[in-house]
Amino acid sequence: MCCCFLLFIACTGCGGSKSVEETPPSELTASAEERKEPLPVPVLQPPDPFDVPEIDELDTEANWIDRPVRNGLVLLRESQSKEKVLGSVVDALKARNDSPDSNALILSSLGKLPENEEADYAARIDRHVGGDLGSTNPIMISTSAEFDILGLTGFGLFSFGRDLEPFATSETVEKWQTSTDRMLDKVVLRDDLVWSDGEPITAYDIAFTYKVIMDPRVPVPAVRSGTDQLRWVEAYDDRTVVFFHKEPLATNVWNINFPVLPKHVYEKTWEADPTLKDSEEHVQLEQAPVCGGPYEIVERKRGQQIVLRRRESWSSVRGKQVRDRPYFKEVRFRIIEDPNTTLLALRKGEIHEMILQPEQWMTQTVGSDFYERNTKVTAPEWVSFHFGWNIDTIFFRDRRVRRAMSYAFNHDEMLEELCYSLYDPCTGIFHPGAWMASTKKFKPYKQDLDKAEALLDESGWIDSNNDGIRDKEIDGRTVPFEFSIVVNQQPLRIAICTLLKENLDQIGIRLNVRPVESTVLQDLTLNRKFQAYLGGWGSGTDPDTSENLWKTGAMRNFCNYSNPEVDRLYAEGRQEFDRGKRAEKYGRIQEILYDDQPYTWLYWRNSFYGFSKEVRGYVFSPRGPYHYSPGFGSLWKPQQE
Amino acid sequence: MATYLLRRILLGLVTLVVITLLVYGLARSMPGNPLTVQLGESDPSRKLNPEDQQRMLEIYGLDKPWPVGYVQWISKVIQGDLGRSITRKQPVTRLIGERIGPTVLISGTALFLTWFLAIPLGLYASARGGQIDERFTGLVLYALYSFPTFVAALFLQIIFAVWLRDTPWELPLFGMSDLSSDAPFFDRCVDVGWHAILPITCQTYVVLAYNSRFIKANLEEVVRQDYIRTARAKGAGPWRVLVHHAFRNTLIPLVTLLGLSLPALVGGSVIIEQIFTWPGMGRLFFESIRERDYPTIMGLTLMFSVLTLVGQLLADILYSIVDPRVNVE
Repeated sequence: MCCCFLLFIACTGCGGSKSVEETPPSELTASAEERKEPLPVPVLQPPDPFDVPEIDELDTEANWIDRPVRNGLVLLRESQSKEKVLGSVVDALKARNDSPDSNALILSSLGKLPENEEADYAARIDRHVGGDLGSTNPIMISTSAEFDILGLTGFGLFSFGRDLEPFATSETVEKWQTSTDRMLDKVVLRDDLVWSDGEPITAYDIAFTYKVIMDPRVPVPAVRSGTDQLRWVEAYDDRTVVFFHKEPLATNVWNINFPVLPKHVYEKTWEADPTLKDSEEHVQLEQAPVCGGPYEIVERKRGQQIVLRRRESWSSVRGKQVRDRPYFKEVRFRIIEDPNTTLLALRKGEIHEMILQPEQWMTQTVGSDFYERNTKVTAPEWVSFHFGWNIDTIFFRDRRVRRAMSYAFNHDEMLEELCYSLYDPCTGIFHPGAWMASTKKFKPYKQDLDKAEALLDESGWIDSNNDGIRDKEIDGRTVPFEFSIVVNQQPLRIAICTLLKENLDQIGIRLNVRPVESTVLQDLTLNRKFQAYLGGWGSGTDPDTSENLWKTGAMRNFCNYSNPEVDRLYAEGRQEFDRGKRAEKYGRIQEILYDDQPYTWLYWRNSFYGFSKEVRGYVFSPRGPYHYSPGFGSLWKPQQE
Repeated sequence: MATYLLRRILLGLVTLVVITLLVYGLARSMPGNPLTVQLGESDPSRKLNPEDQQRMLEIYGLDKPWPVGYVQWISKVIQGDLGRSITRKQPVTRLIGERIGPTVLISGTALFLTWFLAIPLGLYASARGGQIDERFTGLVLYALYSFPTFVAALFLQIIFAVWLRDTPWELPLFGMSDLSSDAPFFDRCVDVGWHAILPITCQTYVVLAYNSRFIKANLEEVVRQDYIRTARAKGAGPWRVLVHHAFRNTLIPLVTLLGLSLPALVGGSVIIEQIFTWPGMGRLFFESIRERDYPTIMGLTLMFSVLTLVGQLLADILYSIVDPRVNVE
């Protein structure tokens, strides 16, 4: 998953060509003509062509500032050295995770990195993945499973730690600099990087990938977002690449996060088959891609498993060790879709880790049969769930009505009865522990039917005809307060909506719960064809990613929320480089949204994981145990005694 | 016969066009498209702007109305091209090719076992009708018939993969093979066979129960006929009467059932494949519908439709073989 969280840089090369305008209109359009359906916008020209300056000119004018180049594993080791270990490994292995104390003990003792020769470098780990890969091509990825695997096999220049602070990774980068005007980022690659086929990894690979991603004929799904904010990427030599930004923004660092393709492989095939999937060469590459990360794919059985093997050429070059060896020699991703089978596989020792469902945590992982080989841990994760109210409907235009919804819902019953007290209440868009969260302490909404009724009365929703349902005269027509909520077909989510229905019944509102398939739910929300829905969001690495949820007209602003102040604060937050000042702006956004209640926030869903007792080194970030640096890189198995 | 075949084939082609047109229209009319699924990620930072969405729809050929899309699809099919899977990034024919082997291994073996066991069980039940042993067998078969597959699968997994772990009776929990592709061919075959035991068991037992009761019911109808009484009066033994005189006359409904099971041979089972992580057609079809992967949905629909029509045609031809009174002309 590093791909998502590693900030991949890319450089490539137009060799000596310095002017983008001089770039030939391109081979790309020729192929498009062959398809008889030419697609717009030639790739190789940015929207506002400019002369790419010489590197000397850049160095003279840019006034470079050095940026952090770090190793995630070293950072973790340093932070662990300052933490107190709560008990011995033996105690932790014996413990049953039935209280916060035992959870802390397990995390503290079994999460430690290995000392000296403690780790078994010949070990294999079997990881669980819930679905097959659509693609192994680094720029075609879109699902979590693809990000997980490509994170181990892909080449990246950037990453971030548990605090979500970005840095260039010292495993691939020698130096990272930003110009004082924040319009340029310059990266110097290490000189000991090779692809799995033995060819050197150079800055030209990065610039080449940028061009491929921006080629309108290439069906790039998720990776283009962010990369399309770059003005240009130029490789000046094998090791130096410069990213040109369109604007000086605090978020620029995330825009240079894209996966890298081996130029020597794809430059021969890209023009002939810009879909990157149809030709025989691309079909072969899907099966056995050329990898730039610490692992390479050695076997791919579709629908069953993907086997990765450690690349010795990653850590050792010309007989000299240049990087830390990954702890596992082999990583097998076992594809299991059924949650019951997955848990049986963990109990049997056929996989070494899995995400546990809340029901599994509560009822199926408490006995000796589970603890014989495994243990389990939980940690906070910045994933929240909510009811979303469509503000463009006649029901939810008025803020008082949305507040009434939040007061009507029995939050305590949901948290205690339906969620087994496993989750914390959620009050807004940022987790209380996040740097961007408001310093104000928001009071979680509690059920108060009197207050809810008063707010509804105030907003004109009264039972005028004594039929037990509130109504309101709108445009000369009496409209009863009856609406539908769409929800994914998951038992817990349906139960939460049913609880809301029961609560609203008590205050004269009729709710119809409509469980739908996930794709249908997605379609209804994207097209705003709903009155209310139940959904959830994970956290981006930067608070600016939430603009997509709240800015007027943004794609995922499903509720049609619009507030000029929020729009302005997001714009200002992007342009502010001081973290403290940025936090004030995002905190203010959180306060406004708490007042406006476009969502009724429900709960923060924590991480729940089952791990084999053979595995150590799991450390959780706000994005779970893997999706940061070192993430999976910190897991290890001890030597067999 | 040739005229009959030609007529049936022409009728089959028209049926195929109607089926595929309907399925294509329905699939394209379902809410969402392949991009909707990609946008369903919970990470708000992963997004696709409207221009990129339009660009992707153009690349996938989904920017045109569905009737146009159908004409494009069927034109390619006539040229032998089933198109490319949108989500799996490979040709649909290759996808089907990869999945058909594992599916037939499970379904074919289950089908063989079903009939191999159902016919003697049906004959036995008919011969011993009303006896205690027959009633007990009937009870067991009814119990099996009403036992949900997903529950049986879970029980079998717990018993054979977990409880009997490290014993000679241990069976694999999931998957199709634990060996790498460079292992000896024979070893891999044995490994796959070993992994197939539980899925085959699950796929067999329900159909076995149904088919054996079906045979018994048909036999009970036939044994009341006059010609059976005649056969007995002529001195034929009970088994000879049952097998040679009665059973042969129950073959027509059996042939119909057999003909209809041809598409099921490659259709796979979503539930069994999902529980045992078996890479078969059922999962592929299910996933392609969820992902709105239209080329894959249509490729599979076409294949199932062709097999249904072929199965029916074969059954009709077989009627004339098992019953000389039936003339295909």
